[in-house]
Amino acid sequence: MALCAAAASTATAFASSRLSASTARPRGPSSTSLPSFVGAFPRAVATRRSRRAAAPAAARRAGVTVRAEAKKKSVLIVNTNSGGHAVIGFYFAKELLAAGHAVTVLTVGDEGSDKMKKPPFSRFSELTSAGGKTVWGDPADVGAAMGGASFDVVLDNNGKDLDAVKPVADWAKSAGVGQFLFISSAGIYKPTEEPPHVEGDAVKESAGHVGVEKYIAEQFGSWASFRPQYMIGSGNNKDCEEWFFDRIVRNRPVPIPGNGMQLTNIAHVRDLSRMLSLAVEKPGAAAGKIFNCVSDRAVTLSGMAKLCAAAAGVAAVEVVLYDPAAAGVDAKKAFPFRNMHFYSEPRAAKEALGWRSSTNLPEDLKERYAEYAASGRGEKTMTFDLDDKILAAVGKAPASVAV
Amino acid sequence: MAATASLKSSLLLPSPLSDFSGAAVSISAQKRRSSWQPRGARVQVSAAADSKNILVMGGTRFIGVFLSRILVKEGHQVTLFTRGKAPITQQLPGESDAEYAEFSSKVQHLKGDRQDFEFVKTSLAAKGYDVVYDINGREAVEVEPIIDALPNLEQYIYCSSAGVYLKSDILPHCEVDAVDPKSRHKGKLETENLLTSRGVNWTSIRPVYIYGPLNYNPVEEWFFHRLKAGRPIPIPGAGNQITQLGHVKDLARAFNLVLGNPKAGQQIFNISGAKYVTFDGLARACAKAGGFPEPELVHYNPKDFDFGKKKAFPFRDQHFFASVEKAISELGWTPEFDLVDGLTDSYNLDFGRGTFRKAADFTTDDMILDKKLATV
Repeated sequence: MALCAAAASTATAFASSRLSASTARPRGPSSTSLPSFVGAFPRAVATRRSRRAAAPAAARRAGVTVRAEAKKKSVLIVNTNSGGHAVIGFYFAKELLAAGHAVTVLTVGDEGSDKMKKPPFSRFSELTSAGGKTVWGDPADVGAAMGGASFDVVLDNNGKDLDAVKPVADWAKSAGVGQFLFISSAGIYKPTEEPPHVEGDAVKESAGHVGVEKYIAEQFGSWASFRPQYMIGSGNNKDCEEWFFDRIVRNRPVPIPGNGMQLTNIAHVRDLSRMLSLAVEKPGAAAGKIFNCVSDRAVTLSGMAKLCAAAAGVAAVEVVLYDPAAAGVDAKKAFPFRNMHFYSEPRAAKEALGWRSSTNLPEDLKERYAEYAASGRGEKTMTFDLDDKILAAVGKAPASVAV
Repeated sequence: MAATASLKSSLLLPSPLSDFSGAAVSISAQKRRSSWQPRGARVQVSAAADSKNILVMGGTRFIGVFLSRILVKEGHQVTLFTRGKAPITQQLPGESDAEYAEFSSKVQHLKGDRQDFEFVKTSLAAKGYDVVYDINGREAVEVEPIIDALPNLEQYIYCSSAGVYLKSDILPHCEVDAVDPKSRHKGKLETENLLTSRGVNWTSIRPVYIYGPLNYNPVEEWFFHRLKAGRPIPIPGAGNQITQLGHVKDLARAFNLVLGNPKAGQQIFNISGAKYVTFDGLARACAKAGGFPEPELVHYNPKDFDFGKKKAFPFRDQHFFASVEKAISELGWTPEFDLVDGLTDSYNLDFGRGTFRKAADFTTDDMILDKKLATV
């Protein structure tokens, strides 16, 4: 079971057995961590566990053991109109709709704006055809956008600081919203020499998201904050893997700052929406918690280049390592990922929500590449000014790294 | 924990022959079972319900020193199989005379060379053991005579290594990940495969880098020597390579938690620290642990040097770390030492008292530093 047939060394971590092993694990929704003394009273534990899995109190009193039915909820997603997080609201909405919940997506700004021509907004018909409502408005006045409507759950997938989120939170509280969820960022963690970032680790107190987390913790009994990193997935508003594909399909070297060993999390957005959905399904388990909203594996920057090449069916990719200062470039402009270890683990979601990661980068990137290839983007004329500047500074022929 | 202790004492049998309705109930303060063994279950009734007759292959050097103490405290009968070259027991730094006397009076010794397969087979068959902890096995052939000698063996608990994982750009290593049949540790893999094929109830523990007092592998010691000498710490590459250390006492607790644990049957568990650490970070953590000032770190390209047979740095020059999530969720184990606390424990009980296994050797350091000076 531990062996995998994949040829690429980077792909070998993900045999299908990995996923089946994960899903086959016996931990159900009731298996939150128990106090140590229960080992001495296993019979009591068994009873307690079956009780947890059973229906609410009324059914128990009636002597009926019913499998807990997720109550259908009304959910409002306040969604950003651009950037890497936009796609989270789209997947979350779809997943909620598929589960039978009532979903409204309030996108910031105007329906007619140019921003709405890009994914995921260009695909909002997928939400409306599934019964979702899509509206546009100003998060500073959600009440006006929503009229008198209230919701069981509100997700703010827009604000990065209290200025942006406070009006949403205050409206939600006055409207009697039961559960307030917030998309924060794993970027708020203080850099560490002991990775990964885990929930509870020190954060940069001045970060806008930190102010929001503190505020919603004060305002709501049932709140949760989700800290994502990078995402791939169809409908993404921001380039991720495309940056690598653009170079690979044009037989260009891939310039990576530093030594390429920096680790980062790149998750399929379905993992994020799954985590959010579980929080809606199990509000008690999610309440008052911070969740790193990432897959449970990290990848090196060079490794990502190799995986993208493998997904594109290319035998080798030329990775060129460079020192941004020496090359005279701003790494933030030249490269789409942070030039440092940026590595979190989703430990709270696994323990509290029974969430499991399904991201399988080697496989997921194949699907991403198929969409990239079909889009024609690979044939478009593109300039690579910063790349060229880097290659000139480095001066030598790029090294070819076997995939 | 108090509730557990009182329950345990109320169940402790006055006579080794009595039992409860045919069910062997094992309750231990250390074990957090998640499944209940019902009365009347087809469970082997051992003479003393809780106590096992345990053989430890090794046990006098590092892991086994701590593990055997836990097992003896748990009430098991513990025999250490060693050649007898090292003392069978040694008083640990920080261990009281009374504790040591208690332990050393109870632990037993079976003297022999485990490479003498015939001797292993006959002596083990003669004694009969319920459980084997194989702490020092390297090759599958060493394990065969043990399995052959003990047909009623309840559990074979094997100390494997995370070194079996195939190097990957996707991390951390998890138990289901691909392994490297060509690795330096392939003997461990072959042993795991042998145990599977022979239908033994086995558990395999894969530690990463183990540290703690009495460590014979110069892991933390390597840094402590340099820190004590006030020398810079030479680190290959950028120093952002990520590794992982696991305290030997946490490892010993994990080994104890898999004993008789139905969740551990035919299972592999990575055991190490809850967090990982960069090479640079580890140098600084060792300094904190020993109360040294922040060290000067000197980075170098190992390809620029020929160190011959000497090791210039105690860790593999790559990312190397494993997720311990499976052990935490399945066994109810948690690593109790964080890195600085664990290194401090090691320093206070070992290096800081003036003891170490390998004398300082700064030959490779000087090669690196000389070259650095020359290029400045």
